[in-house]
Amino acid sequence: MPAKNTPASRALSMASMGVDVAGSYLGYVLQRAFLGGERGKRTLKATHTRAARRILDAMQALRGPAMKLGQTLSLQTGVLPDETLAELATLQMQAPGMHPSLVRVQIKGSLGREPDEIFKTFTADPFAAASLGQVHCAVTRDGTPVAVKVQYPGIGQAIENDFTLFRAASKPAQVSGHVPKAVIDEIQEQIVAETDYGREADNIEFFERGLAPLRFVTVPHVHREYSSDRVLTMSLLPGRHLGDFLARRPSQTLRDRFGAHRFELYHFQVLRLEALHADPHWGNYLFDDDANIGLVDFGCVKYLAPRSVAYLRSIYLYPGAKDSPEFYRLIEKYHAPATGTLTRATRQALVEFTDNFYRKVYPPEAKHQQRPFDFGDPAFLRDYLRGGQDLARTKGVMTDFIFMARAEMGLYQTLHRLRARVLTSQIVRRCLQA
Amino acid sequence: MATRKRSTSKTKPPDAARAPRPAGRRAQNKAAIRTRIVTAALDLFQTKGFEATTTREVARKAGIAEGTVFNYFKTKEDIALSFFEQEVDHAIATVRGDPRLRKAPLEEKLFALVQSQLDFLAPYERFIGAAVIQALKPTSRLSPFSHRAQELRHRYVGFVQELIEDSLPKHRHGALTWVAPEAFWIYYLGALLYWLHDSSPRKQNTIACLDRSLRIGVAMFKQGKW
Repeated sequence: MPAKNTPASRALSMASMGVDVAGSYLGYVLQRAFLGGERGKRTLKATHTRAARRILDAMQALRGPAMKLGQTLSLQTGVLPDETLAELATLQMQAPGMHPSLVRVQIKGSLGREPDEIFKTFTADPFAAASLGQVHCAVTRDGTPVAVKVQYPGIGQAIENDFTLFRAASKPAQVSGHVPKAVIDEIQEQIVAETDYGREADNIEFFERGLAPLRFVTVPHVHREYSSDRVLTMSLLPGRHLGDFLARRPSQTLRDRFGAHRFELYHFQVLRLEALHADPHWGNYLFDDDANIGLVDFGCVKYLAPRSVAYLRSIYLYPGAKDSPEFYRLIEKYHAPATGTLTRATRQALVEFTDNFYRKVYPPEAKHQQRPFDFGDPAFLRDYLRGGQDLARTKGVMTDFIFMARAEMGLYQTLHRLRARVLTSQIVRRCLQA
Repeated sequence: MATRKRSTSKTKPPDAARAPRPAGRRAQNKAAIRTRIVTAALDLFQTKGFEATTTREVARKAGIAEGTVFNYFKTKEDIALSFFEQEVDHAIATVRGDPRLRKAPLEEKLFALVQSQLDFLAPYERFIGAAVIQALKPTSRLSPFSHRAQELRHRYVGFVQELIEDSLPKHRHGALTWVAPEAFWIYYLGALLYWLHDSSPRKQNTIACLDRSLRIGVAMFKQGKW
């Protein structure tokens, strides 16, 4: 398939258009042409994956909202090879770095005082990149260590510009139905929501309360007095990123416990909270030696519609045959009101996805309750990706599940890297019963 | 002992001998009146408009006689120019006096310079807009080609040249380090116009535009790509 005609490559042609548009986020990326040897790094290995690799490479360079847009779309349009897709799910939307003077201007403009006047100490160099900004260590006047997330200036306007361009560039894909307008609307709404740190503070507090029953999960505490729409001050969470955790060669038992916790965290969010942390970047999950998980960065949170959760409840662990009129009715009841009529191909793709993936990962039969699923086997990840792509090809993607799919992809990618063995059916059943 | 004490009291302490002579009361009064005039004028320029403000109103607001205003400033434009001199002096002093900027890269120093200028101008945005239009008149003393405005420009450009030369090794000083500060002055005027027309909350677009353009500009300058 020529890369030229894929939606993802249209997103990239949007990037090259962005160079002339003042205030476009994409311009930050294109400035790299002047700033470094980014082009030199684009060495492509195999000819058959050349286009796909170029897309991944460019998306890694894009980082901004455009990256997330490309990422979300490519997960559903089948233009990239499996391994590239899996990597793509965990890329982070990242703003260009800010120098200390710019950070001071942003904090003063937002909180009314310079960081040195607000905090006892404030570290000028950031310790982490965050969505649309960067994170600094600081100590409050009463001696509490905190993380201060500062937003890059003018990001809202930049996102708006990028979406205007993208909507124009993707008109043909919108007309053909491969990139429905509703999908673009959903992505834009989520990305724009990330620019409001006030909303993120609300998200954190929602998850702090909601995840309290899961004792193995820690969520930061927001310091409202040092926060605004563009600055977010939170408590610091301990722990290591997945890569550092794995580098210490953890035992299979510890990896299994982590896997179980990570799996339960996801399903608890979907089925109990009806909302989920939808940015599966590695940096957003912190691991400690007691299998506890620290969850950070609540910019991208998806609040699911009650009918979507009801639908998931009915299909997870569905005991009967998937290729049956009862199951058809179930999926049609959910999908038909949104898509008009459910085509035969879409219905078939949904049935196959449920049968080939979910039934294997967490079988509904009682005898599987005590049998762990081995996520070290790469076949399950392939099944997941292919199922998702078949759904996209048959236009069976539901807007409410776009960000959930991204989070789910991140979950399975993490479990695969952990090579965890998890009592999946038992956990899903527990979350369903509660 | 008594003799020694007397002689000590007559001798100036060593510190006082080295300290600069304090400005005379007359000079202090003059400076205070000058400040009162500029402050009163800026308030009126901002609230009433530059064109509509008269020197009589400035004098009344400053609490002095109209004739006294003319002892200090010949025209309203001179008062405005004095404000822009303060702006440039303040920005230069801010960048020079900030120890955090000493080892900062050139783009950050230039960003801090322009940002402190804009911070200084921010309370008088309406007046700045009127002053820019006034400066377009060839006969105006605010025109970039007037004698006093040229002096101010030289001071500004000289400081930018200092920053640029500090950031480059000596062997790279040359025609480019002489031309670049002049180009930066034009860039600043452009940034000022952008800032005046920026309706984004808390001028976020101007901040982003400054950051981005300075990064690209300095990188191109250092690579000699212009």
